[in-house]
Amino acid sequence: MARIRFENVNKKYANGFHAVKDLNLDIQDEEFVVLLGPSGCGKSTTLNMIAGLEEVTDGALIFDDQMVNYMPPHRRDVAMVFQSYALYPHKTIFDNIAFGLQMRKQSKEEIERRVRNAARRLEIEHMLDRRPGQLSGGQRQRVALGRAMVRDPAVFLMDEPLSNLDAALRVSMRAEIKELHQEMQTTFVYVTHDQAEALTLADRIVVMSDGIVQQVGTPDEIYEHPANTFVASFLGSPPMNYIDGEIEIEGEDRALFRHDSVTLRLPENLSRKLNTDSGHRVRLGIRAEDVDEKGEVVEGQIIRGTVNSVLPVGSDQFLGMAFGDDELFFRVGKDLRHKTGENVTLAVDVSRLHFFDAATGKSLVA
Amino acid sequence: MSDIATYSGRRSLRNRFGYEERSAIFFLAPVMAVLMSVAVFPILYSLYLSFFQIKLTRPNRTPFVWFQNYTDLFTNELFWTSVRRTVVFSIVSVVAIAMIALLVSLLLNQNFRGRRVLSTILLVPWAIPYVANALMWKWIYDSGYGALNGLLYQLGFIEDYVIWLGDQDKTLLLIANAFVWKEVPLATILLLVTLKSIPADLYQAARVDGASVWQRFVHITLPSMKPGFMLVMIYETMMAIRHFDLFFILTEGGPGHASHVLSWHIYVETFRNLSFGSGAAMSYVLALVTFALSYLFIRTLGRKV
Ligand SMILES: Nc1ncnc2c1ncn2[C@@H]1O[C@H](COP(=O)(O)OP(=O)(O)O)[C@@H](O)[C@H]1O
Ligand SMILES: [Mg+2]
Repeated sequence: MARIRFENVNKKYANGFHAVKDLNLDIQDEEFVVLLGPSGCGKSTTLNMIAGLEEVTDGALIFDDQMVNYMPPHRRDVAMVFQSYALYPHKTIFDNIAFGLQMRKQSKEEIERRVRNAARRLEIEHMLDRRPGQLSGGQRQRVALGRAMVRDPAVFLMDEPLSNLDAALRVSMRAEIKELHQEMQTTFVYVTHDQAEALTLADRIVVMSDGIVQQVGTPDEIYEHPANTFVASFLGSPPMNYIDGEIEIEGEDRALFRHDSVTLRLPENLSRKLNTDSGHRVRLGIRAEDVDEKGEVVEGQIIRGTVNSVLPVGSDQFLGMAFGDDELFFRVGKDLRHKTGENVTLAVDVSRLHFFDAATGKSLVA
Repeated sequence: MSDIATYSGRRSLRNRFGYEERSAIFFLAPVMAVLMSVAVFPILYSLYLSFFQIKLTRPNRTPFVWFQNYTDLFTNELFWTSVRRTVVFSIVSVVAIAMIALLVSLLLNQNFRGRRVLSTILLVPWAIPYVANALMWKWIYDSGYGALNGLLYQLGFIEDYVIWLGDQDKTLLLIANAFVWKEVPLATILLLVTLKSIPADLYQAARVDGASVWQRFVHITLPSMKPGFMLVMIYETMMAIRHFDLFFILTEGGPGHASHVLSWHIYVETFRNLSFGSGAAMSYVLALVTFALSYLFIRTLGRKV
């Protein structure tokens, strides 16, 4: 049972590098929180501070009601799964899983019982006598999970646990980790740079960039209402398309987006939520899937262009569309075969448009 | 057609090797010739000599004696004395080298100011040739003007200058000390490389698992260092059992027979007693032991963790 709070936490490394800046975060007991961001943004640093492997430079890290800034890792009741698994190469699988319990002076019978249970749960019972070197990547991953599970910790930390697995295994392990969270009923903090992983697993996602939290929210909130262009671009594949233009306010709930080669009419409720004035430079965001090639052609709700590239992706196809000097990418069904050079008209789902300040990148939708 | 005919026909010597093999043989030939004359030939020739009784004091009588030179060793008391000295010298040296190198490599694996300078200074003994090392220690241990006497006298540890190498009980240890000084750097580097190759996240995992500093050392560092440790032990044993320079320059096997090790015994037998046959036989015994060790050495090197 643990609630984890960061209060104005900063982390500066010995070489002066400021890896985490003014972090404020409240992780609820039994919540599954995913730290998401590009490589080098400070995710591992944040996780290591929770584990106690890195010291907090400034601010307070609080578990439940206790400040733990100076508490060593083994007293924090946390367990951790490392990206490279970090299995002890000279120990058997049994001893790898049991090590944490042995260090905590549990009785032999208790250790035996817990290790067997975890091994059965993870289907690695038959390899307990082997050594890590004799296991495949997927099996090692399970051992690493087992080592954390047997501890029955208050906080379960995972640093990119799936990134060394092949694509198929990664998807099936996602489901298992989700199940594990439901069974164990503890707080999970999970680090990844894979947006799809974050969207499937998380109760809440924390998007980070350059040591700064960009947005905290449920997967839906993050995906549907990105706080800025960084978050908007980081989630979704292919990434969100941007068109720079101007807003024209025609009335209380009537607004237009104008650009040399496209004009879009905003629906009433979006117009009302838009926090901007006429003539303001904005960046329009359209998600790749928010168009329909077979939709009704209504002026103010369409975008026209020439097909640049066609990329089939199994169930769908990606259309690259030349648009001014840029190329926009859309995801459409595959029953219509498109050819490069062909002119297309796509109906835009105008209720799902995103607007950002062209200068700051901040969302303009309340 | 004609190509196929050529290859299915009887292979001439010219055809047996392809162009690449032939040019390789051509380029390797000079090196092979040199190696044959300076390495292979002497090895085989001394094996041949070891079956004769050859004494240069009686150059005209060199009977073929089969294995007598080898069987004589069993009853040669001085030979067994030298074996015992060699064993003591090697065990003392190798244990000391391994322990000191372990401590120094652990120290150098820490981050602290001046680590690089210290690492560089550490390499000095390694760069000194064996003979120069021996001459240096002869000077240090000298009873009249030696640095050791000077230092201990000025610090008040001794009342009078000591004839260090004249003490039967201490000689072998003092020579081992000089040998250890020379060998520690290489051993340290070998261990340091092993230490550096231990992934940092193993220690992190162990910290989360609740292992103390000492437990992390016992459960991660030591087992991970095993290959490097084996390597150091075997290599240094090979070096120690064959070592000659220090015994030649410092003590000539003395005082009495206190530092009469095997390599010195072989030297005396061959070049002072001019008994080439039995000298060659003893060299072969030493060579076989060394071969056995180097076999172990190479197997250790080849083994994965
Ligand atoms: N021990 C360290 N000393 C100095 N800088 C570090 C150290 N560890 C990480 N960093 C830097 O801090 C930044 C964040 O690192 P990290 O938290 O590992 O990123 P992420 O896990 O998001 O990829 C990176 O730029 C990295 O180079
Ligand atoms: Mg990381």
